[in-house]
Amino acid sequence: MNESTLFLIAFILYIVAAFFYFTYLFSKKDNLAKSGYTFAFAGLIVHTAALILRTIESGHAPFTNMYESLSFLAWSAIFAYVLIEGKFKIKNAGPYFMLIVIGLMALASSPLMPKEATPLVPALQSYWLWLHVSVTLLGEAFFAVGFITSIMYLVADSKEKKGMAAKSSLTAEKLDSISYRTIAIGFPLFTLGGLVFGMVWAYKAWGSYWSWDPKETWSLITWFVFALYLHTRVVMGWKGRRSALIAVIGFLAALFTYFGVNYLLAGLHSYT
Amino acid sequence: MKSFFNFFSSVKLAIFLLIFITIASILGTLIPQQRSPGEYLDRYGDIANFLIRLEFTKLYQSWWFISLLFLFAVNILVCTLTRLSPKLRKAFQPKFETEKKKLLSLKTTASFKKNQNLEKTIPDVQKMLSSKHFRLKTDQNENTAFLLARKRLLGLFGSDIVHLGLLIIIIGGIISGMSGFRTNLNISEGKTIPVPQADFELRLDKFVTEYHPNGSVRDWKSTLTVIENGSDVLSKTIEVNHPLSHKGFVFYQSSYGWDWENPTLEIWAKKKNDPAFLKKFELGVGEKAQIGEENIEIAVINFVPDFIIGENNEIATRSLEPNNPAAYIEGWREEEKVFSSWIFAKFPDFGRMHSAIETDLSFEFKDLRAAQYSGIQMSKDPGVNFIWVGCTLLMVGLFVAFFWPTREIKIILEESQNKTDLTTGGIAAKNREDFQSEFDKIMESIRRSQ
Repeated sequence: MNESTLFLIAFILYIVAAFFYFTYLFSKKDNLAKSGYTFAFAGLIVHTAALILRTIESGHAPFTNMYESLSFLAWSAIFAYVLIEGKFKIKNAGPYFMLIVIGLMALASSPLMPKEATPLVPALQSYWLWLHVSVTLLGEAFFAVGFITSIMYLVADSKEKKGMAAKSSLTAEKLDSISYRTIAIGFPLFTLGGLVFGMVWAYKAWGSYWSWDPKETWSLITWFVFALYLHTRVVMGWKGRRSALIAVIGFLAALFTYFGVNYLLAGLHSYT
Repeated sequence: MKSFFNFFSSVKLAIFLLIFITIASILGTLIPQQRSPGEYLDRYGDIANFLIRLEFTKLYQSWWFISLLFLFAVNILVCTLTRLSPKLRKAFQPKFETEKKKLLSLKTTASFKKNQNLEKTIPDVQKMLSSKHFRLKTDQNENTAFLLARKRLLGLFGSDIVHLGLLIIIIGGIISGMSGFRTNLNISEGKTIPVPQADFELRLDKFVTEYHPNGSVRDWKSTLTVIENGSDVLSKTIEVNHPLSHKGFVFYQSSYGWDWENPTLEIWAKKKNDPAFLKKFELGVGEKAQIGEENIEIAVINFVPDFIIGENNEIATRSLEPNNPAAYIEGWREEEKVFSSWIFAKFPDFGRMHSAIETDLSFEFKDLRAAQYSGIQMSKDPGVNFIWVGCTLLMVGLFVAFFWPTREIKIILEESQNKTDLTTGGIAAKNREDFQSEFDKIMESIRRSQ
């Protein structure tokens, strides 16, 4: 059993999970959502094994090239989803969430992503690689959950306004509160991993804790957007639509920090 | 003064500034920063001058961006201070709630009756709340009592701790920007150089490059020694991610290269009429050597790593890489110059032709070696400790704000006919659902306790 086989099995399990979740969406039989959850969970376990094997084989953290980091982001997303689903029962978000995960897994498996593990350049040989990248991506995974629940809020809200009652117990109001609480987990994680650990590592490796490198700047922008989300909500009492829109923008900024910067803006973080 | 205060205590201002700073930051990632004016002219044409004048080309260091950050800092400070005193009062001068109506208007409430008198009920309630880590205050009269139970008071100040952390980070950033100092030092093995702005010197004892089996670089390691007043005080082998610190100066492994301006040259002397004659020299620039019985001395006068004849027929080097290494040598017999010539490592025939015909000697530039230098980035940043203190406060504050929510339960107990009426209300600023279930459990067990 090697890493790529395990990765493939996890991928298939996620697809099966998505299938069950989508059929649940149409037939509303709780058992289907339960099966979806079970398969997603099984996928998470196999995926974990794949990441551990990858780490042993390559001898370094499993997120040093685009393939590895996409795979790890998918893992974090499922991890965040399993936690949030366990606490808030948001199985209606399951199908959309599985779509994102499958998208990430498909991107990771695409031939555009070089898969072979290459030795690390000197700058990346540090335990800060583990701390910085894993905590940041975990934070972003919670932003992804918040993104899905915010989009679902926007849909549910416009339906409720048209007079259609929510079909499930997942009302617009509840979605709004789940989005907030998910972001309340993602924000400290992102701050710690992306900004604080990033600054400490930058200082140790480059001699300067902040250089206005595009990736740094974009993480700060992401952080600003979520800071805006929290302040408008907590201090000014914004809720609902406007809040959900800021959460969506915040996730898009996080996504751009993760993907866009690598391909569109060159800087210190360009490791190829 | 008052209007100044009102202006800066507004959260709306904070939100506007946050949006402006965000948009400016985005612009700074779209417009390449700190390039030459020519590059901007090529890229943006007519609006280039406009961008340069408004400092969009060094946006993060521009006066207007720094002013925005400064306004933001003042805004954070004023906002935090104006909200601090009510919170402090709340935390340190707590008030009992004496009106039942007010308790019942809270979101989380309960009221019930216990079949025992006040004297017995109070300890039950206190014991129950203490076991849930609430800290209690009780005010007991003849047949009424007021109870105030609170926990995680620090949670009230989470956002203030975050803001304090941010202010310290901004102060650290200003100090770094104003008095931080960075430069690159290239040191060859065995060389000692003075450290700019410091009262000590630095010697590179050893520099090695380690490779992965596939040939890519695994690491660079420089063994550095700090010398103060002529004596060694500290030695450390630095590598990428593991710098050396001394007296506030930090030395980072950042690059490496070869010192091609001062190589050691290997030069062979031959004689046309005597094929058995061969003498080998290893000379640096400015060094001399005796050729032997001829009583002739050879000297290396000049060296360029990448030979080129410039526009005015002067000798120059095209680059610092050894693409076309050339040396200018002279031969002297006592006070008389007997030959002089450029010799080329890549074109041995050229040197042979122009060498000293009169002495029957010819010279070949066979090889050259340069000492490797280690590229050390040096920085002195007095702001950095502020950053770490600020970051720690920021994280502690975020944790407290999100995961350490203050909980408050207020109870009014009234005795009548040996029974006690309890009216309770709970206040939670965050995670109300969780608090509701905790509250319900506590009330349930108070109701049941005997």
